[in-house]
Amino acid sequence: MSITNKITVKRAEIAVAVILALCSIALMIKSAENRITWNAEENMGAGFLPFYLSLGMFICTVLTIIKFVLKRSPQSKDDSPFIDAEAFKYIAVTIISLVILVLAIGYLGIYFSLIFFLAFYLRYFSSKSVLFISVFSLITPVLTFLFFEWLLKIPLPQGISEPLFYPVYDFMYS
Amino acid sequence: MDVFILLLEGIFVSFQPLNLGLLIFGCLIGLFVGAMPGLGSVNGVAILIPITFIIPPTAAIIFLAAVYYGAMYGGAISSVMLGIPGASTAVATVFDGRPLAVKGEAMTALTAAAVGSFVGGTVSVILFTLFAPPLAEVALRFNAPETFALMVMAFATFVGLGGDDVPKTIFSILIGLALSTIGLDLITGKPRLIFFNIPGFLHGINFLVLAIGIYGIGEMLWTLEETKGKVQMSKLSVNMKEVGRAFGALKKTIMAMNIGSFLGFFVGILPAAGATPASLMSYGITKQLSKNSKEFGSGVPAGVVAPECANNSASTGSMLPMLTLGIPGSPTTAILLGGMILWGLTPGPLLFTQEPEFVWGLIGSLYIANFFTLVLNIALIPAFLMVLRIPFAILAPVIFVLCVTGGYAPTQSLHDVWLMLLFGFAGYILRKLDYPVAPAVLSIVLGPLAEKALRQSLILSDGSMGIFFDMSEKPIAAIIMYIAIVLLIMPAFGPLYRKFFKKAQTT
Repeated sequence: MSITNKITVKRAEIAVAVILALCSIALMIKSAENRITWNAEENMGAGFLPFYLSLGMFICTVLTIIKFVLKRSPQSKDDSPFIDAEAFKYIAVTIISLVILVLAIGYLGIYFSLIFFLAFYLRYFSSKSVLFISVFSLITPVLTFLFFEWLLKIPLPQGISEPLFYPVYDFMYS
Repeated sequence: MDVFILLLEGIFVSFQPLNLGLLIFGCLIGLFVGAMPGLGSVNGVAILIPITFIIPPTAAIIFLAAVYYGAMYGGAISSVMLGIPGASTAVATVFDGRPLAVKGEAMTALTAAAVGSFVGGTVSVILFTLFAPPLAEVALRFNAPETFALMVMAFATFVGLGGDDVPKTIFSILIGLALSTIGLDLITGKPRLIFFNIPGFLHGINFLVLAIGIYGIGEMLWTLEETKGKVQMSKLSVNMKEVGRAFGALKKTIMAMNIGSFLGFFVGILPAAGATPASLMSYGITKQLSKNSKEFGSGVPAGVVAPECANNSASTGSMLPMLTLGIPGSPTTAILLGGMILWGLTPGPLLFTQEPEFVWGLIGSLYIANFFTLVLNIALIPAFLMVLRIPFAILAPVIFVLCVTGGYAPTQSLHDVWLMLLFGFAGYILRKLDYPVAPAVLSIVLGPLAEKALRQSLILSDGSMGIFFDMSEKPIAAIIMYIAIVLLIMPAFGPLYRKFFKKAQTT
């Protein structure tokens, strides 16, 4: 039995509800770092709203868990896979490549990271030629640069590749 | 008469070269965004907001409203040609649009959709022009308690009328509100919910980070899973004979146009409703009232006209509470409302007196956009069909690039990009488990405004919540609050209501 068959909708529903309940508790604890009381003299403490909103979230997750236990929600009776194997490949590769992209942006800078991201993604999922992928992966960052840095004047992160752009800036602003 | 003059001035504003250029560009992008499966008006507007920072607010709202408008038209193209709705607002268009295309009458379906959208858009924008000024005048008398009550009603509408699982809907509202409290407390100045002492949380969470995460990354993951890049396009022959036949078929759709236009507008005004339920309800009611109700689902033009009229009409209707009350009528208008705050405007009735050019420029642009979108929609059908042939494996990474750059640009912080990814993944999983995500986006936009109104009200009342329920002192706030309470408890008495809602959805 593959991992995608093991994770059924039913299991995902209860796992997510429990995780959200734990997150709500963590939020309540974090909110309590500020005053969570409210009275006419002192008005509302800074932690009051976040605390009670988190408490409300916690109650909602408990209700979801109760509905699950009583089999009142459609998910509680659904033994089908949460995601099928083919879709899982798409989703997993996409998520991992996006995480690596953002990690790389901090180090390599956005433009070079985008080249690698696009080249990898297109090579992995599309049946396009190497020439198409190369041109597409190079043109997209160039257009991104022109749009943000030249038109909008918003500098995007360049990481260690920043010195490579100095001549371009000299040309743009000379 | 005053309204007529203001409207003329607004139309004049939208004919200024920059505004007109952006309007046409926005219509084109909207048509494209609406036509692509997985992208809708809300995704387009969320992803494009960061690029509006360099243009004046009037031009920005005209551009984004045109994107919103265009997307309502464009959604029908993929519903008809691929059998996959371009956006949730075009789901009902598939019911008869796709069978028409399968029968070889795709041109009839596309023309019916375009004309239906035009009629719905025109009727709703006229209603908008008539209703907006008096409603804004009433809303000018609103103070903090009335404003807070209105926001509670907006949240309650999601619970009462959303049709989703109640605990999950309330959770979605509360998490959006909780996220909006991150950062410095507006009264005491104390930092709140600064996780792991990461400085990025001190400036709070920009609503765009959540919106792009959920509607950009999350939606793309959802669409990748749904389509896996495989689509089946119908054949289409475009010639004058086909177009003539398509217009001829519209004679039998007058009732559908009326139902779609008026029902769509009034459903669109409701905060939780928006264009998707409007189009589904319009389809259901048109089918029930039609003499040929049994033919619905097998490919009748009225089945395309009704939802398309309604979704365009509802999109205009949803802007009415946004402009007059500062309450969004749909997820897209929630993002537009957040955009107004970013542009330095205060959403609400004061806009009518303080920023008439902005308000009437927007209203005027809706008339112009409606016309341009109809023309562009019909003229560019072959071009959109080419676009629809682009494999999703190529489109998806481009959207991801837009999301990453769009998430970074507003604050120029990688911290926000990480948060956006987190919200995108979480939104994807939650949506798969039927947690509605739209209330969270609405809440993060309205959260700071609601908190400010609540705390101002409590200062006025020396800490008494009674201020919201006092019929003698604050009758409007009290009435709105009681309506909100009714909406909140409605699902508790709801088996009958839910049965009706499900029935309307399935029909």
